[in-house]
Amino acid sequence: MAGPEDILSTVEMLQREHLDVRAVTMGVDLFECADRDIDRVCGLMRNKILRCAGGLVEACSDIADKYGIPIVNRRIAISPIGDVLAGHGEEALLQAARALDRIAVDLGIDFIGGYTALVQKGMTSSDRALIASLPAALSETNRLCASVNAASSHAGINMDALYQLGHAIKETAERTADRDGFGCCKLCVFANIPEDNPFMAGAYKGIGEPECVVNIGVSGPGVVKRAIERLKATGDKIDLGDVAEEIKNTAFRVTRVGELIGREVAARVGAEFGIVDLSLAPTPAIGDSVGEILEVMGVKCLGGPGSTAALALLNDAVKKGGAFASSSVGGMSGAFIPVCEDAALAKAVGDGSLRIEKLEAMTSVCSVGLDMIAVPGDTTAEALAALMADELAIGVVNRKTTATRLIPVPGKKAGDRAVFGGLFGESPIIDLPCATADEFVRMGGRIPAPLVSLNN
Amino acid sequence: MAAEYIVTVMSRDRVGIVADVSRALAGLGGNITDLSQTLLRGYFTLIISVETPDDVTDARVREAVAQAGAPGEFGVEVRHYEPPQAAEQVSTERFVLTTRGADRPGIIARVTAYLAEQSINIEDFYAHVVAGDLLMVLQVAVPSGLNIRQVQREIEQVGREFGLSVHLQHENIFRVTNEVRLLRIEGGKS
Repeated sequence: MAGPEDILSTVEMLQREHLDVRAVTMGVDLFECADRDIDRVCGLMRNKILRCAGGLVEACSDIADKYGIPIVNRRIAISPIGDVLAGHGEEALLQAARALDRIAVDLGIDFIGGYTALVQKGMTSSDRALIASLPAALSETNRLCASVNAASSHAGINMDALYQLGHAIKETAERTADRDGFGCCKLCVFANIPEDNPFMAGAYKGIGEPECVVNIGVSGPGVVKRAIERLKATGDKIDLGDVAEEIKNTAFRVTRVGELIGREVAARVGAEFGIVDLSLAPTPAIGDSVGEILEVMGVKCLGGPGSTAALALLNDAVKKGGAFASSSVGGMSGAFIPVCEDAALAKAVGDGSLRIEKLEAMTSVCSVGLDMIAVPGDTTAEALAALMADELAIGVVNRKTTATRLIPVPGKKAGDRAVFGGLFGESPIIDLPCATADEFVRMGGRIPAPLVSLNN
Repeated sequence: MAAEYIVTVMSRDRVGIVADVSRALAGLGGNITDLSQTLLRGYFTLIISVETPDDVTDARVREAVAQAGAPGEFGVEVRHYEPPQAAEQVSTERFVLTTRGADRPGIIARVTAYLAEQSINIEDFYAHVVAGDLLMVLQVAVPSGLNIRQVQREIEQVGREFGLSVHLQHENIFRVTNEVRLLRIEGGKS
């Protein structure tokens, strides 16, 4: 058993440094619910989800109490609905969207993800219908999350899908204009989407995943920041190798917490345990920020020189600690930089030091991508599609996951403030200079998959 | 080998106490089977389980250990070992209780009285005052039948009476975060 100092440091992590289990996400396979009759599909989906996840909320609550660790969100990820509802049109998709949202409410589930289409190489009629339905689905529901995989390293980038998504994002923002375009916060557009990601809005249950599986998302930027501060406070001469080692050790401990909780929840609800995803996912709370970690590492101007290198160190050390802690690491497993959800990053955008170009560079060395970025309301569908294409190109070429969550805030311009509330946070609106790639976007088609040899 | 004794020794700390005590027990033909020592503010305590030949009495053990130190140096207690009764071995789960707050007389008495009322046994106890704050870390065996949520609520209430922050958490959380080897959770499908 651990000694008193180890015990107290664990208590400190849990109680004072914002270590939490961000998400217990249960994946539920819904392909058996496919039917020509949409009423029947909705009934079957409800029965299946209630059967698998009926005890999830109670199990999470019991286990959170037993270990004294908060479980912030309980979530469900379903099979990609675009495939479950193959052959159905927009109206049927919307009916399913409302039904899924109601199931989440009835079960006390925070979010339900998997309103998803996988279109990296091309779209079926139901995929097109799903993208067309996004504005209504995201504005009429509260807990439903959507994602579209529009690119992959094997298939390239589907520009037709991105252009359609550009229009869908614009319309979603307009329909939720009273909340600064909040509907767009629930839509992720991916390259190389992971099948076992527990984090929203991009969670869905991958086709190669088990019937019913529990995936865990743990977070803790605050824990990592405090660990580096303690290391610096020793007064010893430390170098960046020491910082990486400290982050690795901390990531190890945090990942272990996730695996413990995940295995217990899975055992309780009779599901398989899938993966633990340690991702430093910030919240708007002060002290729970990835930007603050970079600052404590000595990068005083976020977005200035050093930001990308520091983030690369952080991301890699998190992965190494996590991979040693558990053989069941998956999902994203890295550091997120969702601007609205991270008070320090949002401030840097407001100060003008963190610009869209630097954010894009930073996303080439960390998890996710241009995440939770509020852009001017007059940004065109073409500009949104071009920006998404840029970000997905980073993922496609570097064989990693990248994604975007862009919110064109209706009626607001660069420098104004967008406020979404809760975990979604707030941020000044970032400037998008030179958004003039309309012709490029309108050409459509597919950007071919990249060559994997001649790597220079 | 038939006689089994539990021996405790208390004294001011110095180098060589364990060597002196174990040499004395070896001189009686004794074999130490378990040993635990603690240091606190320059004082030393030792608890030993020892097996001796049949004809070695508790009085001889006490005398030999006492004479291993300078005159009057060691406080020695010797008891015949009695194994726990089967009825005492109730099923329990190990939890860790941690508290922190300004030190005042009576805190330990109140917290431990509550634990005793609930039949929660203390298996390890560390308490230390740092800058006026009392830190306590207790490893406790909670009978499996107890409602852990209720115990958590009540012990937190006891803490509030003294302005302490109190946390009662299952020991696994501390094992997984501090041990390299992965703890196996029973009952999972995977």
